[in-house]
Amino acid sequence: MAHDWQPDFEQLVDEHQSMVFSLAARMTGDRGLAEEIAQDVFMELDRHLGRIESAAHACFWLRRVAMSRSADALRRRRVRGVDLWVEMEEHHGSPAEGRSSPLGSRLEQLLATLPEPQRAALVLRYQEDLTPEEIAATLASPVATVKSHLQRGLKLLRAKAANHLKEYVRGI
Amino acid sequence: MEFEPMEEFEQQLREALERRPAPPSLKRKLMASRRAERPATPMPAWQRLAASVALAAVLGGAVTWRHVEERRKGEAAREQVLTALRITGHALDQINTQLAAHSRAPQE
Amino acid sequence: MHIRNMTFILATSILAAATMAAPARAQTVQLPAPPPVEKELAARASNVTEVTLGKNMLAFAAKFMNGKDKDDESTRQLIQGLDGIYVREYEFDKEGQFSAEEIEQLRKYFETSEWSPLVRERERKGGEATDVMVKLVNGEVHGMFILEVAPKELTIVLILGPVRMEDLGKLKGLGGLGALGDLEKSTKAKDKKGGAQ
Repeated sequence: MAHDWQPDFEQLVDEHQSMVFSLAARMTGDRGLAEEIAQDVFMELDRHLGRIESAAHACFWLRRVAMSRSADALRRRRVRGVDLWVEMEEHHGSPAEGRSSPLGSRLEQLLATLPEPQRAALVLRYQEDLTPEEIAATLASPVATVKSHLQRGLKLLRAKAANHLKEYVRGI
Repeated sequence: MEFEPMEEFEQQLREALERRPAPPSLKRKLMASRRAERPATPMPAWQRLAASVALAAVLGGAVTWRHVEERRKGEAAREQVLTALRITGHALDQINTQLAAHSRAPQE
Repeated sequence: MHIRNMTFILATSILAAATMAAPARAQTVQLPAPPPVEKELAARASNVTEVTLGKNMLAFAAKFMNGKDKDDESTRQLIQGLDGIYVREYEFDKEGQFSAEEIEQLRKYFETSEWSPLVRERERKGGEATDVMVKLVNGEVHGMFILEVAPKELTIVLILGPVRMEDLGKLKGLGGLGALGDLEKSTKAKDKKGGAQ
């Protein structure tokens, strides 16, 4: 199929590396692993570059593969029942950049404690600003399922955040 | 338990989930891996092929299609080898990860 | 590093297998034809990579590996003398796109009597599986087979011919996958902390 858009690998890396890295970091809670996943994703892009048809296709493809590889990595680590925010305390030694409030950085950590499907839906919604239909296409999930994950995930995260704020205030 | 309005919470979540910059080492490693897999060539293969053909014509020599075609096939074969070995390396990595996880399993 | 761990495990397992394997005559080997089930798997996969390189094609490709490039030279050394490389990678959009019976068909197709199993892992819940087999000729490795099964991905690797373990370790650089050292480190840190709460 002929198309005018010509993919430039380096340009795609420049444009999308923070998206891919951030998706992997928020799904796994591990910066080192996230960098590895991002590297894997872009090497895979390099192998499939001939099949990418447009800039929008490249973005969609990268999101989809980043989420898929993150899920694979989580499964391989066999982390079950572990509160991931504990790991993030270990790994994120340097303070989060540009965070205006302790709650903001804590929200990110609390996100990592949500069940994986809810976490995935929320990350795509609030990091990538995707609609439920776009999230469904990215995750190859039914729209109704995505909406349910968004609703439950948000409710759960909000409850956790409210608890945390109470403890935070108590601790001051 | 008191909750702030949902819209406000969603806005906080959006701010908390702003994309983080990727570490500089990511692009560096990517481009280095890519360069290692392909020899540095100033032109894509089809342009090299076109340049070879044009040069042969300008010099008045006979165009040796067999040589040009052999070169193209050889580079394609080389790419196939690299693809195969890349997939093999990836599989071995995954196996190693699993074996390492299993050796730690009794501690869980 | 992790690939060297793998090669160490393989090397020690091979020593054990060699003492049990019956000596076999070295002979010209050919890559097998693809098993029928592969066509069905490929039809269902969203991404398919299939590479089949016989002895002649490997020798031909080696001629085009730039001797001055370090990685090209490593690759050339690895494939020199090999009888064939057969690799299949199938990626699926969702889980449940292949059955346990199909995997068993694949395994049985490649697992002839000349092969000695080294690794056989099964994870019942997730359906993941790993098989590694080697072919021994006079106590030396003359073939390696890997079948790696994940819920949305299948990988088959068949290498025929003399395989040098130290050369396998160089595959890490070619793959460009980066170090898994961080993952090992982070997992060790988790272990120190005491694991699940």
